[in-house]
Amino acid sequence: MKFFRRNPIDLLFSAITGIASVSVVVLIIGIFIALIRESLPAIDRFGVINFILTVDWDPVAEVFGALSTLLGTAITTALSLAFAIPIAIGIAIFVTEISPNFLKGPIGTAIELLAAIPSIIYGMWGLFTLAPIMEEYIEPFLQSTIGKLPLIGLLFQGTPMGIDLLTASLILSIMIIPFTASVARDSFKLTPPIVKESAYAVGATKWEVVKDVVLPYSKLGVFGGVVLSLGRAIGETMAVAFVLGNNHEIPRSLFDAAATITVSLANEFTEADTDIYLSSLYYLALILFVLSFITLATAKFFLLKAEKRYHR
Amino acid sequence: MNIQKKRRVTNFIALTLSSLAALSGLFWLVFILADVLINGVRGISLDLFLQDPAPPGMEGGGLRNAFVGQLMITAVATLIGVPVGVLGGTFLAEYARGRKLSRIISIVSDIMVSVPSIVVGTFVYAILVKPFGHFNGWAGAVALAIIMIPVVLRTTEDMLSMVPWSLREAAFALGAPYYKVIIQVVYRGAATGILTGVLLSIARVAGETAPLLFTSFNNSFFSLNMNEPIASLTVTIFQYAMGPYESWHAQAWAASLVITLFVLFITVLGRIILKLRFGKGNGR
Repeated sequence: MKFFRRNPIDLLFSAITGIASVSVVVLIIGIFIALIRESLPAIDRFGVINFILTVDWDPVAEVFGALSTLLGTAITTALSLAFAIPIAIGIAIFVTEISPNFLKGPIGTAIELLAAIPSIIYGMWGLFTLAPIMEEYIEPFLQSTIGKLPLIGLLFQGTPMGIDLLTASLILSIMIIPFTASVARDSFKLTPPIVKESAYAVGATKWEVVKDVVLPYSKLGVFGGVVLSLGRAIGETMAVAFVLGNNHEIPRSLFDAAATITVSLANEFTEADTDIYLSSLYYLALILFVLSFITLATAKFFLLKAEKRYHR
Repeated sequence: MNIQKKRRVTNFIALTLSSLAALSGLFWLVFILADVLINGVRGISLDLFLQDPAPPGMEGGGLRNAFVGQLMITAVATLIGVPVGVLGGTFLAEYARGRKLSRIISIVSDIMVSVPSIVVGTFVYAILVKPFGHFNGWAGAVALAIIMIPVVLRTTEDMLSMVPWSLREAAFALGAPYYKVIIQVVYRGAATGILTGVLLSIARVAGETAPLLFTSFNNSFFSLNMNEPIASLTVTIFQYAMGPYESWHAQAWAASLVITLFVLFITVLGRIILKLRFGKGNGR
């Protein structure tokens, strides 16, 4: 398609559109460079391994380490995925295999609306509605049941306040359910009907068809969807900022207030009064950017692979 | 228990659990929406839209500054983000169609869509706030625009790709240069789709808070000056919700209700347009 090069206006228009599309790549590289430049003082002072393994986060003594925030991010992300994945896959199974046709539309729309609600609304609801419920009913209940078990019980120690890892993870899981569910649903739909029908023909039950035909067939896509949700969960800010407490200590129980990278940034960025403090926060942002970029690229890789395999 | 019965019971349990999962999704949606509605309606009044905030701790006042600020920031973000996104998508779907470059930019945009928005905020702080020494409205608008660009770019690319190639060939056959074909034929064919993409991207950034925290910051006073810090609804919600006053909480709920209704309205509108335009299919 070289013919358009002959017309000067075409040349100009293709150049303008080209610049516009390359801007995305420029932006992402620009973000990376800017974050590195701003965090250089902190990288110089604290190193890489040392920064990641240091617990202290002390603006007064000007000692900064990422371990507590990294742990907070890891715990909330892992817990929220653990809550969200089974429910999301259940929703996808319901929508594609079980639901009568007249229900498919409304449930699909409801899931999409859940994804459209801004994260700050989740945060508001979490702080004023969910946290008190957690504090008064759910956490004492968990403490008096699972909390009595050996070992696992240790996770449920402390005074339930509602502002803690468990509440934050729960809100986060509600936020990522729609992403996982819609990717899983789209992957399930790619299973050729004839394969499913063959399974039904030999007498398989619906669950057996889902478990032995649909799930194996769509596992790449579902996995991609899970990794995509992981990427979203790592970077989510406002939904957890309200209910995590921004506490830079190593959490010992799910009922402890904690901090994630995003929560620290949201709470402390405008209050950073020294250069090294701000630089350390940029260092956290850099780590977050690299983590989420790798996660999202992995997700994209799996989704593309799934797409390639089924669309031929 | 014989094996037949066991299979049937397993089947029943699994299907019941799946149905419960779907119900739980509905449950959260209804719970959250009802909560925002009930708490928000109490704070809604004419004063909320027409008055500026009262001094901290005092009753009364409204959020006029935040409504106006939000509108200004979102409008400027749209003015930057939409042209760049639409033009960029045009390049991918037309001039670079089928090329490797197009694939790569497409994939990078998909990643960019999900990059944590707070990271975008820190980036814009470094390039537009630090050099000038103070928070400003432009920085907030640029941060939102950066989030918008990949969204608009990808929808534009998808929508243009769906315009049949034969349509372009018909125009080429009449001797039209490619840019005229794009502007007069392809854009017309994909107009509804692109417009929907723009709507959905506005819905996406209207609820964004994290990128505004360190760019446009907040302002308790009414201001139309984009060179100064400007209040936005979302940052105000964050500040008021974390604050100690009952009256602040009530106003934060009311603002939440307004934002939720706005975002859901645009989202639903976008879906309806897409359904009408492209049939029931898979939502496209």
